[in-house]
Amino acid sequence: MSTSDDPRERWRQLARAELSGADPDTLVHCLPSGIEARPLYTAEDLAGLEHLGSVPGEYPYVRGVRATMYAGRPWTLRQYAGFSTPEDTNAFFRRALAAGQRGLSVAFDLPTHRGYDADDPAVRGDVGKAGVAVSSVEDMTIVFDGIPLGEVSVSMTMNGAVLPVLAAFIVTAEEQGVSRAQLSGTIQNDILKEFMVRNTYIYPPAPSMRIVADVMEFVSRHMPRFNSISISGYHMQEAGASAELELGYTLADGLEYLEAAVARGLDVDAVARSMSFFFGIGMDFFGEIAKLRAARLLWATLVRERFAPRDPRSLLLRTHCQTSGVSLTAQDPLNNVVRTTLEALAAVLGGTQSLHTNAYDEALALPSDRSARIARNTQLILQHETGIVGVVDPLGGSYFVERLTHELATRARAVIAEVDALGGMTRAIERRVPQRRIERAAAERQARIERGTDIVVGVNAFRAPEEPEVELRVIDTASVVRTQTERLAVLRARRDPARVAAALEALVRGAEGSENLLELAIEAMRARATVGEVSAALARVFGRHEERAMTTTGVFTEHYRDDPEFAALVERTARFVEEHGRRPRILIAKLGQDGHDRGAKVIAGGLADVGFDVELGPLFMSPLDVAKHALESDVHCVGVSTQAGAHLTLVPELVEALDRVGARGVRVVVGGIVPERDRAVLRERGVAAVFGPGSSIVEIARMLLDLLEATPEGLAP
Amino acid sequence: MRLDPSALAEGVRSGNRAALARAITLVESRLAAHVEAAERVLELLFPHTGRALRLGITGPPGAGKSTLVDALGLHAIEQGHRVGVLAIDPTSERTGGSLLGDRTRMGRLAARDEAFVRPSPSGGVAGGLGPRTREAMIVLEAGGYDVIVVESVGVGQGEIAITDVVDVVLVLLLSGAGDALQGMKRGLLEHADLVAFTKADGARRAEAQAARDELASLFTWLRPDGTPVLTVSALSGDGVPELWSELGRRKEALTRSGALDERRRRQRRAWLSDALEQQLLARYLSDPDLARRKQELEAEVERGALLPPVAARRLLPS
Ligand code: B12
Ligand SMILES: Nc1nc2c(ncn2[C@@H]2O[C@H](COP(=O)(O)OP(=O)(O)O)[C@@H](O)[C@H]2O)c(=O)[nH]1
Ligand SMILES: [Mg+2]
Repeated sequence: MSTSDDPRERWRQLARAELSGADPDTLVHCLPSGIEARPLYTAEDLAGLEHLGSVPGEYPYVRGVRATMYAGRPWTLRQYAGFSTPEDTNAFFRRALAAGQRGLSVAFDLPTHRGYDADDPAVRGDVGKAGVAVSSVEDMTIVFDGIPLGEVSVSMTMNGAVLPVLAAFIVTAEEQGVSRAQLSGTIQNDILKEFMVRNTYIYPPAPSMRIVADVMEFVSRHMPRFNSISISGYHMQEAGASAELELGYTLADGLEYLEAAVARGLDVDAVARSMSFFFGIGMDFFGEIAKLRAARLLWATLVRERFAPRDPRSLLLRTHCQTSGVSLTAQDPLNNVVRTTLEALAAVLGGTQSLHTNAYDEALALPSDRSARIARNTQLILQHETGIVGVVDPLGGSYFVERLTHELATRARAVIAEVDALGGMTRAIERRVPQRRIERAAAERQARIERGTDIVVGVNAFRAPEEPEVELRVIDTASVVRTQTERLAVLRARRDPARVAAALEALVRGAEGSENLLELAIEAMRARATVGEVSAALARVFGRHEERAMTTTGVFTEHYRDDPEFAALVERTARFVEEHGRRPRILIAKLGQDGHDRGAKVIAGGLADVGFDVELGPLFMSPLDVAKHALESDVHCVGVSTQAGAHLTLVPELVEALDRVGARGVRVVVGGIVPERDRAVLRERGVAAVFGPGSSIVEIARMLLDLLEATPEGLAP
Repeated sequence: MRLDPSALAEGVRSGNRAALARAITLVESRLAAHVEAAERVLELLFPHTGRALRLGITGPPGAGKSTLVDALGLHAIEQGHRVGVLAIDPTSERTGGSLLGDRTRMGRLAARDEAFVRPSPSGGVAGGLGPRTREAMIVLEAGGYDVIVVESVGVGQGEIAITDVVDVVLVLLLSGAGDALQGMKRGLLEHADLVAFTKADGARRAEAQAARDELASLFTWLRPDGTPVLTVSALSGDGVPELWSELGRRKEALTRSGALDERRRRQRRAWLSDALEQQLLARYLSDPDLARRKQELEAEVERGALLPPVAARRLLPS
C-alpha cells in the first residue's frame, strides 16, 4: 500500500479497506440541523479559516466573550418559571433560589402577555395557566416579595405588554427601595420574533417597533445594569427553524433593532452594550456548539462593519440559552432528562452566559416541583461534578467544530444577505419570508419523524412497553381568577381615579406624539393603572394587530410519495366525495390567548395533503367566533389545537356554543397538550377524540375519516 | 343531509344561519340526489333575488383581496347593509383538498352578525370560480344579504368567469409588481368596471398613487367609458369609503343605461350553457359502461397512443 503525504488520502485508503472497498464518501451525512458533515475532519479543514487565532475575550470573540469564561465564574443558572398566582410563583422562586438557582426568569401568563387583566372575562380560561398572572404593581410586588431586587438579577419574557410590565417592575423595585439604576436583569422586548413565531404581539409592527426603541432608549439611559432587549432565536428554533435560519434571522433582528435605535439618535455604544441574545439548543450537539461560536463571530463582525462602534464591548454577543422543548417527548418522559443534559452540555461548550434546562415533563404540563428540581440539578451537576468549567472553549481548535463554525457563519450570512435584499427584517416578516421557511421546516420535521427518517427514541422507535405515570402540576384557573379578581377590585377601589385617568390620558397623548412611552407607563403604573388599562389606552392610538393564519401544503404529499397507506387515505377522501357530495371539511381552530400554532399549521397542511378541505382559523378566537365560523362553513368537524392548558375551560364552551348557534352535528376533536386525566373530562363534554404529541398525520386522518364516515352530517340533522 | 327543500328554503328566507350554511352545502354538492333537491331549493329562492349588489373582487394572489373585503364589508355594514361573502380558493391538483385561508383574513367582518362568510374550494374549475358560485350567491341573497361579494383569484384569461356572475367587477392590483401591465396583457383589466391599487399606505402610498395615475392616463385612451382607477388601503382604511361610493355609482350608472339588465340577461344565458354542459357531462359519466370505457381509453391517451379528441369522440354515442 502506498502512503500518501496527504493525511486525508491516507485516511480514505484506510476507510475504504474497512468499508470493504466502498467509497468513504458514502459516509457523508446530514447533521440534525441539515448541514452536511463528512466522517472525518483534519488539519486541512482549518486552512483558510479567517476566524482562527484569536483568544477568548478578543475580537471576533468566537472563543468567548470573556477571557476567563467559566474558569472565572460559571454561567448563570436561570430557570424560566411562573404559574398561577403571584403568591405561588413567589414561593416557587424562593425555593429555587435556596436550591442553587442564581437568577430569576419570569414566565407571565398569556393574558398578561397580550395586555389583558386577569378579571377580563374574555381571557378567563388562560389566567395563570401558562405563567404567572400579573395585572398590577400589587401583583408584581407579591412576585418579588422577600427577593432583594438590588441583588438578584431578573429576566422577564415580555414583549407585547412590555411597557406596563417593565413599568410595574421598576415601580415595585422603587417601592422596595431599589432604584432603577441598581436593577440588573433583562427584558426580552423583542417584538419582531413575536410577529414571526411567538405570537404575543399586541399592536401592529410600526408602533411596536417604536415601543421597542422607547424601551431600549430608557433602559440604556437609566438602567446601566439591565439588558434593554434579548434578541431571541430560541422561539424560531422551537417553531421549526434550522440552525442557520435561527442564527441568520436572529442576527438580522439584532441589526434591525440597532438601526432603529441609532436612527432615533442614540449612541451605538450606549445601546449595543445593553443588547443581549437568546438561543435555543437542540439535539444537534456539535451544530449547536458551532452555532453559538458563529453567533459571536458574526455579530462582532457585522456590528463593526455596519456601525463602527468605538467601544469594543459593543461587539460582544452575550447570550442566554434554553434547551429545546420540541426535542422532548410526551412518551417515556424520563428520556428527556438525558436529552436535556446533552443539550445543556452543548450550550456550555458553546459558551453561553446563562442557561435554562427543561424539565422532563415538558411535553405534558408546566414543570412539577420534582421535575423542576431535576432540571436545575442538571446544571448543578455540570458545574460541580464534571470539571468542564475549568477550561475556556475546550473545543477551540477542533477541526470539526472550527469548520462547522465557519460553515454556519457562512450560511447565516447568506440568510442575512437575503433579508438585506428584502429591505430588512420588518419588511421580510411583512412578506412572510421567514415564516414560510420556518413553517415548511416544521412540516418537514413532522414528516421525517412520521416516515422514520428522523429517529426519536420512545416515539417512532424503541417505544416503552408501557408509559410510566408522571405526577403533573395542576393549576386551578378558577381559583386564580378569583384571587386576582378580588385583588384587582381592591386596587380599583383604593386608587385615585383622577390620577389614573390623567396618567392614561398622558399615555394616549404620548402615543400620538413622540414622548418616551416607558416613562409615561411608569407614572401610570405608579398611579395603579393596570396592565390591561395601559394596553387598552395604547391600543386606542395604535390599534390591535391581527395576524393571518397561513401554512404550507405539499410537504406530506412529497414525503409520503409511494407510500401505500397514505395513498389509501387520499383514495378514501376521494371516495368520501362520491358518497357525500363534498370533501371532508375541517376547521382547525385556536381558542383563547394560546399562540402556539406550529401543531395547528402542521396538521392543517397535512390534512389538506390527504385531501381534506381545511380551514385554518386565526389565533385568539373565542368559542363563539369558532362556532360561527364552523356554522357558516358547514364543516364536518372542528379540530381544536391547544397547547397552553386552557382546554378544560374553552373546549366545553365551544361545544356549548356550537349547540347554541345551531351547529350541533359538528364533531369536535382536540389535539395538543392534554394531560391524560383531562381526556376523559373532554370526552364526557362531547369531544370525539384527543390527539397528543407524536400523533402522525396518517393516524389522525384515518381516525377522522372513521369518525366522519360514521356521521358525515356536518350541521345538525 | 336532510333534504326537505321547502323547509330549507324557508329557513334560508327567515335568515336562519344554519339553514343558509346547509343550503350552500347542498347547492355545492356533487351528489345526484342533492342536485335535484338543490334545484328545488333554488327555484324557491330565486324569486327573492335580484336586488342585491353583486360585487366581484379579483386580482393576483396577495393583492390584498381578502383584506379589502374585510374593510369594505365592514364599511358596508356601517351603511346599514348585510354582507354575504363567497371566497373561492384554488384547489390542490394533486389531492383535490384545499387549504381555505380567506376567512381568516376577514376576521373583523366574519365576527359580525350582519355578515356571512363562506370560503369554497374552486374544485379545479377554471376561471377562478367554484363550480356552484352562482347558486351559492342566490342562497345568500335570498337569505337577506343585500351585498354579495365574490372573491376569486385572478391569474389569467380565465377571469372572465367572474363577469358571468356579478354586477360590478373590481380588479385589485399591487403597484410595483408590474401587475398593471401584466393585467392588461392577460386580459384581467378587460372586464374591470373598477380598478384599485391596494396597500396604499406607508412606504407604498406614493407608489400606489403613481401607478394609479399611470393607469388612469392609459385608460383615457383605451377605455373611453372612464373606468375609475383608485387607490385604497385596507390597513389604514384610506380610500375605502370612496371605493364604496364609487362602486355604488358604478352600479347605478349601469342600471340607468340598461347595461346591467343586459349583463344579467347575458349571465343567465351563460348560466344555461354552463348548466347544460355540466348536466350533459354528469349524465354521460354516470353511465357505468361509459365510465369503464373512459378508463380504458384514458390509459391509451396517457401513453400517447391515442389522440385525446379521437378518444372523446369514441366515447360519445354516434
Ligand atoms: C414549540 C413550543 C413553543 C414555541 C411555539 C412556536 C409556535 N409558533 O408554535 C414558543 C417557543 C414560541 C413557545 C412559547 C410559549 N410556550 Co410553549 N411550547 C412549545 C413546545 C416545546 C412544543 C409544542 C410544539 O409545537 N410541538 C410540535 C408540534 C408539531 O406538536 P403538537 O403541538 O403537540 O401537535 C401534535 C399533536 O399534539 C397533534 N395536534 C396538535 N394540534 C392538533 C389539532 C388537531 C385538530 C389534531 C387532530 C391534532 C393536533 O398533532 C400534532 C402532530 O403530532 C411545548 C412542549 C412540548 N414538547 O410539547 C411547549 C408548551 C406548549 N409551551 C408552554 C408554554 C407555557 C409557553 C409560553 C406560554 C411560556 C410563557 N409563559 O411565555 C410561551 C407563549 C406562547 C404563546 N404565544 O402562546 C407549555 C404549556 C403548559 C401547559 N399546557 O400547561 C408547554 C407544554 C411547555 C411546558 N411544559 O411548560 N412554546
Ligand atoms: N400594508 C398593507 N398590507 C396589506 C393590505 N391589504 C392586505 N395586505 C397584506 O397583503 C397580504 C395579502 O393579503 P390578502 O388579503 O390575503 O390577499 P389576497 O390573496 O389577494 O386575498 C397580507 O399579508 C396582508 O396583510 C393593505 O391595505 N396594506
Ligand atoms: Mg384571498
